Amino acid sequence: MQTRLHARNGIVGTGVKFERIRRVTGYLVGTLDRFNDGKRAEERDRVKHLTV
Amino acid sequence: MIRFIVKRDGRKVSFNEDKISNAIRKALISSHPDDKSTSASEEQLIEKLTRQVVSEIEKENLQEPSVENTQDIIEKVLIQNEMAQEAKNFILYRQNRTNARIYNTELTKIYRDLTSKSTADMDLKRENANIDANAPMGLMLRFGSEGSKDYVRRYVLRPEHSIAHSRGDIHIHDLDFYMLTINCCQIGLKDLFKRGFSTGHGFLREPQSIQSAAALCCIAIQSNQNDMHGGQSIPLFEYDLAPYVAISYSKHLCKVVCICLRNDDAKVDDLKAYCKEIYAKFNTCLSDETQALIRNKVIEVFKREDPNKDHQADVDYVLSEAIKLTERETYQAMEALIHNLNSMQSRAGAQVPFSSINYGTGTMPEHRMIMKNVLLATDAGLGGGETPIFPVQIFKVKDGVNTKKGDPNFDLFELACKVSAKRLFPNFSFLDAPYNAMYYKEGHPETEVALMGCRTRVVSNYFDKTKEVIPGRGNLSFTTINLPRLAIEAHGSISKFYESLDELIYMVFDQLMDRFKIIAKKQVLNYPFLMGQGVWIDSERLNPEDTIEDVIKNGTMSVGFIGLAECLVALIGKHHGESKEAFDLGYQILKYMRDICDKHTVDTGLNFSLFSTPAEGLSGRFVKIDKKLYGIIPGVTDREYYTNSFHVPVYYEISAAEKIRIEGPFHELCNAGSISYIEMDGDLTKNIEAFEKVILYMKECGVGYGSINHPVDRCPVCNYVGIIGDVCPRCGRRDGEGVSIERLRKLGVGCICTG
Repeated sequence: MQTRLHARNGIVGTGVKFERIRRVTGYLVGTLDRFNDGKRAEERDRVKHLTV
Repeated sequence: MIRFIVKRDGRKVSFNEDKISNAIRKALISSHPDDKSTSASEEQLIEKLTRQVVSEIEKENLQEPSVENTQDIIEKVLIQNEMAQEAKNFILYRQNRTNARIYNTELTKIYRDLTSKSTADMDLKRENANIDANAPMGLMLRFGSEGSKDYVRRYVLRPEHSIAHSRGDIHIHDLDFYMLTINCCQIGLKDLFKRGFSTGHGFLREPQSIQSAAALCCIAIQSNQNDMHGGQSIPLFEYDLAPYVAISYSKHLCKVVCICLRNDDAKVDDLKAYCKEIYAKFNTCLSDETQALIRNKVIEVFKREDPNKDHQADVDYVLSEAIKLTERETYQAMEALIHNLNSMQSRAGAQVPFSSINYGTGTMPEHRMIMKNVLLATDAGLGGGETPIFPVQIFKVKDGVNTKKGDPNFDLFELACKVSAKRLFPNFSFLDAPYNAMYYKEGHPETEVALMGCRTRVVSNYFDKTKEVIPGRGNLSFTTINLPRLAIEAHGSISKFYESLDELIYMVFDQLMDRFKIIAKKQVLNYPFLMGQGVWIDSERLNPEDTIEDVIKNGTMSVGFIGLAECLVALIGKHHGESKEAFDLGYQILKYMRDICDKHTVDTGLNFSLFSTPAEGLSGRFVKIDKKLYGIIPGVTDREYYTNSFHVPVYYEISAAEKIRIEGPFHELCNAGSISYIEMDGDLTKNIEAFEKVILYMKECGVGYGSINHPVDRCPVCNYVGIIGDVCPRCGRRDGEGVSIERLRKLGVGCICTG
């Protein structure tokens, strides 16, 4: 988790990724970076069942 | 004349015939293992065979034979002499030695990779996404874990179990903890708090406010997690904490009375005692009925202090103010609980505890106050507005309590849906499902089925039917079966599939029992909190030196599975999402597995159950091996993961209703727990009604535990929470891109970039 951002030449956030929270098992995971390869592929493949 | 032999590491050493004799001697002895000595005739035979081996080597004209081809020749000579058994034993011996050598090098390689490769490049470091294997303690844990796994595979497991595990027929979970502890526990706080507890240094007395009760709840979770390898859940969250809301209320009430009387020393002890009495009698201080009684008592106190004044207005003020203060304290307690569970470390700092809380059915005002405020605190998020990852929250859905307008907790169900539409939690469990309802005893919330966040469910208790309760029990361990592999190897023969499934399940039973026997010998003192503080059922009766064998029999051992969908495709070409025939077969397969578990439960008197394995680390492991063995089989091994448990494959286009209808019936079969998800898109917070409908439809279709997945993204720069496509809707930056401070200022974003 990104906790401190430094400004460089009046610009912040360079290299800072969006956090994308997803459910694995029944737990939540705060960042896709820590997903293992199998889970990452599964997450990528998920299709939506309902759109509101 | 042979002068040298080349060892495996390439070193040349002088050739020694005795080594060959020794190997042959061992092979001979192995066919009569009870007698470790050799007879005179055997010695002659050894001498003869050794000569044969040497002449073979010479015949092959090998000036410098290697250890490997010398062993090949020994094998050959034994077979030539029609010593089949001895030859077989010799081959086995060689195989074992090879295994041991490979393990050694594998472990060394893993250790090297752990220190030299980044998490991004190494799957092993991402086995569990909630553990940071980049940090030193996370890495230390991996070192210990890999060493322990290696030891268990080599020296503890039966060879056939070890081979089945490494070949990928089965997966023995948490192998690193095989010799150490059991999986997870549903913690009852009630008795623990009443007794008070100790976590190392000093004794913690019963909490005297909701704020300290919530803090102690976190400590209990943290401490217990350190004694186990799995997660921790609080099954009766609102019930266990409610008494402390009442205590807080009585304190606030007395304080406000004193303030109102402008007298710090006013005598209010009897008022406090009266509240306690009321709570003991009615289970609430905050209902209309009990408030009326307390009101009379307050009037009495006022009269005593100042008999001549009319206190009507003051009394109204005091009563409403006391409730307001209690509500405020409860919110802060819940807020702190969520913050603590996302920040306090366990397991030497590698992770926060894996925690879950279950709630939803308590209808007393104190219960409701806890639930409302834990939901509101979740909605508010953490300090930077982040979505709380822990605890997993599970809202218990129950007819007559919270499913319809007019039900006492319907408002909380609606709030739960609203919060989940924004924060992904709570998940929802369904108490009316017949397989859950059968254990429920009216007025006994400890018989309400609860879940570990991941999905583990423990309720039935064949070992002790008088203890079919939730608190103090949990899963001991589980092992997962590679269903697609069995299906591939059955080559379309359903009966062959069942035969090998049967065989494999019984092997898993043996392995689970071996594991049980190891842990059963442990003593209470090995688990200072779990057993030492009486968290596990009946452990408070034990002494530190007692073994835990009898009490852990109240836990469960589970047979898990993965990839029902791929299994069905391999058997009949379609999965259960696309064909009725496949659905029927899938149902039959799981029913078969469940029946065997039930039978084994009766045969052994221990709780064996069928588990729809969470499979985070496992999702990609089996398929990787199977791809190597069988190549790419469309719909079976053509992806990087096997589909979770009995789920309809994530890539398959299907409506929400259809998916729920198909997965519903499987929940009943998986008595060790299961979960169904629906993926929804769009801004759910704008359509809570649709969200509620999906949840209630799950209930209709027999789902036991379910949740709705939807994207929850956050931009750490401007703190936007919601759906972020390629571009953040608030600050306009792309992933990894920078944005000017000026722009953020114009947007009115309070910048967190000043660190």
